[in-house]
Amino acid sequence: MKKFYSGIAAALLASSVALTGCSFSSGDEEASSGSEDAVTVDVFQFKVEFKEQFEELVAMYEEENPDVNINVKTVGGGNDYGASLKTSFSSGEEPDIFNIGGPTDVDEYEEYLADLSDTKAADAALDGTLTSVKRDGQVLGLPYNQEGYGLLYNKKVFEEAGINPDEIKTFEELKKAVETLDSKKDELGIKAPFAFPAKEKWVMGNHMANTYLADEFNHDVMEAYNADTVEFAMGDQLKRFLDLQNKYSVQPTLSLDYSQQVEEYFSLGKVAMIQQGNWVYNTIASMDEEFAQNNVGLLPIPVEGYEGSIPVGVPNYWVVNKKSEDEVVQASKEFLDWMYTSETGKKFVTEKFKFIPAYEGYEDLEIADPISKEIYEYVKEGNTLGWVFLGAPVGWTEGAFGVAAQEYIAGNISWEEVIKQSKEDWEESRK
Amino acid sequence: MQNRSIWFWLFLTPVILGLGIVVVIPFIYGFIFSFTDWNGITATKFLGFEHYINLFQEDEFMDSIWFTVKFAVITVILLNFFGLGLALLVTRNIKTNNLLRTVFFMPNLIGGLILGFIWQFIFVSVFDDIGTLFGIENLQGWLSTTGTGFWGLVILTAWQMAGYIMIIYIAYLENIPKDLIEAAKIDGANGFQRFKNITFPLVAPAFTVSMFLTLSMAFKIYDQNLSLTNGGPFNSTQMVAMEIVRTAFSDHQMAYAQAKAVIFFFIVAVIALTQVYYNKKREVEM
Repeated sequence: MKKFYSGIAAALLASSVALTGCSFSSGDEEASSGSEDAVTVDVFQFKVEFKEQFEELVAMYEEENPDVNINVKTVGGGNDYGASLKTSFSSGEEPDIFNIGGPTDVDEYEEYLADLSDTKAADAALDGTLTSVKRDGQVLGLPYNQEGYGLLYNKKVFEEAGINPDEIKTFEELKKAVETLDSKKDELGIKAPFAFPAKEKWVMGNHMANTYLADEFNHDVMEAYNADTVEFAMGDQLKRFLDLQNKYSVQPTLSLDYSQQVEEYFSLGKVAMIQQGNWVYNTIASMDEEFAQNNVGLLPIPVEGYEGSIPVGVPNYWVVNKKSEDEVVQASKEFLDWMYTSETGKKFVTEKFKFIPAYEGYEDLEIADPISKEIYEYVKEGNTLGWVFLGAPVGWTEGAFGVAAQEYIAGNISWEEVIKQSKEDWEESRK
Repeated sequence: MQNRSIWFWLFLTPVILGLGIVVVIPFIYGFIFSFTDWNGITATKFLGFEHYINLFQEDEFMDSIWFTVKFAVITVILLNFFGLGLALLVTRNIKTNNLLRTVFFMPNLIGGLILGFIWQFIFVSVFDDIGTLFGIENLQGWLSTTGTGFWGLVILTAWQMAGYIMIIYIAYLENIPKDLIEAAKIDGANGFQRFKNITFPLVAPAFTVSMFLTLSMAFKIYDQNLSLTNGGPFNSTQMVAMEIVRTAFSDHQMAYAQAKAVIFFFIVAVIALTQVYYNKKREVEM
């Protein structure tokens, strides 16, 4: 028996040595892969929707520049990305290029952000797209793209119901159209005019609230970022728009989520309208290519004084890690420049990424999908509202306003309560 | 204790090392960080008990603790009831015994996240359709209220874990000496009496084990919570684990979340240890 034990012990010992051996050697292997004096750039990005296309672009770049190695790591949206980014920083495996959202993220990572003012991309960035990443005259990030949102509608259903979308500008006109749709829903074959995903706090907290808060902060995300309080000057309009969507939606709204809204209800033609933006194009196309190409239109959310305007903003920025080695920082900047300013890169950005560019020099290029195209028209004519929600206190949009709106929908609190709670939370965070 | 030879330590060292590196050291670090303003990357200031004082005044945190406690009480009762029930069922002499054991255990093999999404579909779509078809209003609008969210989570957890708890009870049930049962039979004890006076006391150790397991599991639940309700509506079905993750990664308050985690640890430890102590006392030695 003793022999048996010692045998196991020896095996255990051997295997543990082998294991530790492995973990040590693997680090070296990674570093030494690729050609002799190649620069390795680690990219940590969050946009799952364009992961494959982005990797394709990276492969093209590596072919043109054999002395640069780019490793791409993608971690999906929102919280997951923020958490993983923080973990990789605290564990010392800092990426060379990563993404940040807005001014609050700049605060969080400021000591790591390299100055990008000398890049061609920073020069080409459209007016206003850099405000939230400017600190002391330095440009700390480069915009990904522009995104816009409104009410996406099903053109065919509107036509059958005899509604002309061009005539819907004010809230009253929208309400009339919604009532018409609701009265004809059986013959149109829809379940309700809207699919309103009240389960998703960001739909209300980020986008819906932003539409009616933009004016208050002069469409400037930095103004929101520096504000000590929020007034909800257009609170009544916000309330009636929320009520309208909630009342004429597939019920119960509180358990309706984003994927049901876009995939189950809108893409399959069971509702006439949803409040979303150009980012849903690929999802709709994966459900029904033909519908996505020809049947989706965009209506502006009615805001008094801004009829016919679409909220457009930069959702994310590329940043370069200042603490990486100089040549890596240089290589990172060159890569980002190439992506947004070279002919190959620009073509890729519009055609494959299906981005609405946030840079000059894209005038002669076609934007690929119809929703983005429509939003770009609004941008060209200057009919836009700002994105200010990225300047709200951390967690406010979802944790304060989003939660309060859900309680309001459930009938637990009054609208005055919603405003009061959200206001208090904002002030508390800004103390 | 003569056998604490070199082999004793040789066997123990890898375990102690592993435990130390992945549990003890991080725990101590976390405990220290909870007194600072750590933001996930650096800590600059020592704040003392500030976080601890704040967290007891935060409604959201207290609500999530209360919700978790209610959830734990209900699931511990249900899980042990169903676990023992299923175990009694499959230890009888029926032909499909092994098949049934596999079937009951199966839900436990599916990951919590996926289960959550499956049940979400059942509660939201299937329940709704059945409700519409038969005109049962109670089946409609599941997960859109706090109550249905709570019961949704309970049903999901009971369904997932009952098979696992069943396995523990089976092990103890099969260890009960046949002659004891036989003797009772000859003495004229009926089925209920046999269960009450022989089976039940003899599976008491199984209660200790499975109550501890279910209790700690019910407290620590996260993935099912995330995928089924995501804390909604209005964060009212948010359990402690999820509240802590939100504080850390949505509100970027790492040190504060760490303080909450420390408190959470003590609550679970105290409850679980008390339970084990009392259960142990009423176990019967064979």
